[in-house]
Amino acid sequence: MWSKSSSVVVAYVAVISFLVCAYMCGYLTPLFAGMNIHSDYNLCCTALILVLGALAYLMGAGLPAVMITGSLGAFIALSWGQEPLIRYLTLSALLFTIGVYGMTTSRNAVRVLMSIELMLNAVNINLVAFSRYVDPGFVRGQIFAIFILTVAAAEAAVGLAIVLAIYRNAQTVDMEKFNLLKW
Amino acid sequence: MGDLSELATLASKHMETWLFYLVALITVPFAFGVLLDRNIIRAGFLLIGVFGGISALFLLLQAQFLAMAQLMIYAVGITLVVVIALMLTNPRMEEDKSPSIPAQKAPAALVGTLLFIALYMAILSEGWGNNSEALSPDNITIIGYSLLTHYALPFEFASILLLIALVGAVMLAKHDHFNSKADIDEIEEETKEISERNEHVVKV
Repeated sequence: MWSKSSSVVVAYVAVISFLVCAYMCGYLTPLFAGMNIHSDYNLCCTALILVLGALAYLMGAGLPAVMITGSLGAFIALSWGQEPLIRYLTLSALLFTIGVYGMTTSRNAVRVLMSIELMLNAVNINLVAFSRYVDPGFVRGQIFAIFILTVAAAEAAVGLAIVLAIYRNAQTVDMEKFNLLKW
Repeated sequence: MGDLSELATLASKHMETWLFYLVALITVPFAFGVLLDRNIIRAGFLLIGVFGGISALFLLLQAQFLAMAQLMIYAVGITLVVVIALMLTNPRMEEDKSPSIPAQKAPAALVGTLLFIALYMAILSEGWGNNSEALSPDNITIIGYSLLTHYALPFEFASILLLIALVGAVMLAKHDHFNSKADIDEIEEETKEISERNEHVVKV
């Protein structure tokens, strides 16, 4: 029951949480004493988390667990102690990156559309955060977000109709089998 | 009195931070679940969690109207359409053996990581003219007013776009007769059956 991969995952999660906690309490600062800019600590901690994640993956941990733990740890390390606007922008960048990853790797065409929705939502978070922290008087960011919502609804309808038409013709929604336009 | 109100504002500030991290810790795993879950119908339902978390973020940013619109349009509307499309394109509810294309995993992860780091550096390098004044409590009024005055033209264009998208989606998804391969196969089979029956009749 307690396989090797799950023990690797547990060890990885434990190490990352320890690292993040130590970072949040400021114990890691002496490690990076050579640098004198605050953001570089963040980047060093993130690089450490990424290297540990790659190690855990090579040792046999499952990809989802490594990706979730690594990205959450990197996100907290990068955004902790920053201004609220930068926190929101970092979360939005993370969600956008997740969307890019899903869009390029997904096998199912509908999942690609879901990833695109994720990316549109990340952009919306950006705009609403700007309207809260940069432009609170005239909430222009929220109006832009409303237009993006409209375009996203139209995109979802048309995209899913295209997927249905493709399925009716090719009997599959596998992205690797759509090679009609290849030569 | 002054101390108390100071304490209250401090507490609310920290409260917002903790709530933000709580929502982020829920939303990001849901987003990964959407991409990596083998059961694609479940991935479609996980999308509700992502959109709900983002709507909670909008509430934290005091965009009440957008939070509700997000819940109604994304978490209910678009997710419903996506799940129905999933059921139509995967009628036997098969589980994917691997949800992602193996050859593209490593390059995509590399590109994603680099993109995230680049975006983060860009965010940090910019000095956002931080405006600390609070959002006006009647921001819904401001939104409605500016949508119908300053942004009236884009608003009308959005309605035209929605109409065109509606008609286009119906046209695309409509079942065209004698167009698809399956239909042609069906027709060929039918004609073959009819000709066989005719031969049989002739023989008799």
